[in-house]
Amino acid sequence: MLFSFGRSLKAFAVPGLIGLVIAVRRPGPNADAWMMLLLIPAAVAAVVRYLSFRLRYEAEELVIRSGIVFRNERHIPYARIQNLDAVQNVFHRLLRVIEVRVQTGAGAEPEATISVLPASALDEMRRRVFARDAAPQAAPRVDGRVLLQMPLGELLLHGFLVNRGMVVIGAIYGILWQLGISDRVFEPLADDAVAENGTVRAAVDSIIRGGSVSASEMAVAVGAIVLFLLVVRIASMCWAVVRLYGFRLTEIGEDLRIEYGLFTRFTATVPLRRIQAVTISEGPLYRLLDRVSVRVETAGGRTGQEGAASVREWLAPLVRRERLEPLMADIIRGENTQFRWLPVHPGAFRRIVKRRLFIAVLVTAAAAFAIGWAGLVVGVAAIPWSVLAANRYASHLGWTAHGGLVAFKSGWLWRSTTIARVSRIQAVSLRESPFDRRAAMARVRVDTAGAHERSHRIDIPYLGRDDAADLQLRLAARAADTQFHW
Amino acid sequence: VDPDGDVADGVERRLDPRQISHQQRVGWVTAAFGSGISFIVAFGFWASSGFSLIGLAAAGGAWIGLSGLLAWRAQAWPEIAYRHASYKVDAQGIEIRRGVFWRTITSIPRSRVQHTDVSQGPLQRTHELGTLVVYTAGTDHARVDLPGLAHARALRIREHLLPKGEADAI
Repeated sequence: MLFSFGRSLKAFAVPGLIGLVIAVRRPGPNADAWMMLLLIPAAVAAVVRYLSFRLRYEAEELVIRSGIVFRNERHIPYARIQNLDAVQNVFHRLLRVIEVRVQTGAGAEPEATISVLPASALDEMRRRVFARDAAPQAAPRVDGRVLLQMPLGELLLHGFLVNRGMVVIGAIYGILWQLGISDRVFEPLADDAVAENGTVRAAVDSIIRGGSVSASEMAVAVGAIVLFLLVVRIASMCWAVVRLYGFRLTEIGEDLRIEYGLFTRFTATVPLRRIQAVTISEGPLYRLLDRVSVRVETAGGRTGQEGAASVREWLAPLVRRERLEPLMADIIRGENTQFRWLPVHPGAFRRIVKRRLFIAVLVTAAAAFAIGWAGLVVGVAAIPWSVLAANRYASHLGWTAHGGLVAFKSGWLWRSTTIARVSRIQAVSLRESPFDRRAAMARVRVDTAGAHERSHRIDIPYLGRDDAADLQLRLAARAADTQFHW
Repeated sequence: VDPDGDVADGVERRLDPRQISHQQRVGWVTAAFGSGISFIVAFGFWASSGFSLIGLAAAGGAWIGLSGLLAWRAQAWPEIAYRHASYKVDAQGIEIRRGVFWRTITSIPRSRVQHTDVSQGPLQRTHELGTLVVYTAGTDHARVDLPGLAHARALRIREHLLPKGEADAI
């Protein structure tokens, strides 16, 4: 009963607070306060939902019943459950309960969200759901081995590198605006920097007009920009600490457990066999600091949930390069992850450089058109740069299909490597554009479950036509030999 | 095509030839529709130019050009597309080729087929054609269509691709 009370209070409190804030903000007839009456049915519904909620473990499936008027009974076979995620926000932690999200391969949303469960029940659920997987349960589940832990310093560094500061600043600005504080905080700043007579604006204006800029004006402008970038980075570091505090990756038998969060604790259980692809990425600063970051993709339930979606798949937000090899060996067991990379077709550079030069010339022409002959300076920088970038890009492309793995790496300054097991391949396609055909090349794309729209994929361009056809045939045949397990 | 032979013959096969006339019919319907709409737009443009001679030439020219393009697409394109489309079914799975300028060969292993559909539209029905739709757990190829099969054949390929009592996942 206490949980139900807490639950309803919570369901009521958040919209209620928002309503209050809005109501207070607006002067005049206080219509918004009446809106709160509409929230009462919602609170009642929450209580009803809680009281009618029944969870049952069958031999093969999880049965969830809910509703009093409209009854709903959902059966989820254990075999289809991909992940069990646990979320604990501050309220949950105070009351020692958890929210469990049951995710199957289908669809974008969690198949079931079990809102309030005593914390001890999660282990019970994990055991029942995943027990069938580890069929011959030789050893009893030991306490697990910690694969990665992120101390505060690493978290700060991670925040600095990923640079999510703008998101944080946007959110803070939004809240301040809601509360009506923004005018007082931002107006003096904005007046100085951006308004019609602002220093920065004046400086930019005079640069564009080709006029002279005094040294002090210049210094102020540069200083303002540097300060802003610094604030963004610091905000990002705070974000990383709040979000990922106490990040821990543990290996428990055949599962990985990922835990993190300062206020809201997330606990995700990812069975190793359900990892669809692993992506390792690094930027220039990462290389300077000798670090990489690793993500995994599991099928199902990643889009549509706020925030949690992209972070949940972090396997290692930041890890030292020398720790990468042992980590990969733990995640991709039984395969050699010391790859011997194969290059793409030697003609790749010529094709990349043509396209980049074309863009560089277009940009230069646009610049010259906009600001006169001085715009041609852009070309002096852009054209050699595109040649260099094309050369580096082409030489960093690499692929390998060895043993039970297929892997692809790309990028020069920002590099990504994606690795997938052959048994996780869903389809293989070979594509030829008209340009490809003229150069007798093709690209091979490997489709896996759970890939993100924008994530790095195994999509190998600029392969010789015959190599590509051979690779496609081999991968398709090897994938056909294996049985796909969810 | 031997109607009773094994569908999983591993031979690269063209689509059903009736697909050409089916696509032409679809193309002509589209062309009539597109041409009609663009006629109204062109007339509006001519009217807004004050029914001037230049306006008539520009609008009329654009309309004739567009209609010609639609007519070509309706009459000639299906044959070209037909020449560049084929499929191969074997014990391992299905391989689909298509695309005239941008060509794609998609291989789907049989063990990755989640489920399949065979659908048939009203125009397809008069030609006894069907579309085979294969669903996988993938992302880009979560759904792969193969239109232009004889309906009976599409059903048999589906029969072949469906997982047969193999131990279900896990």
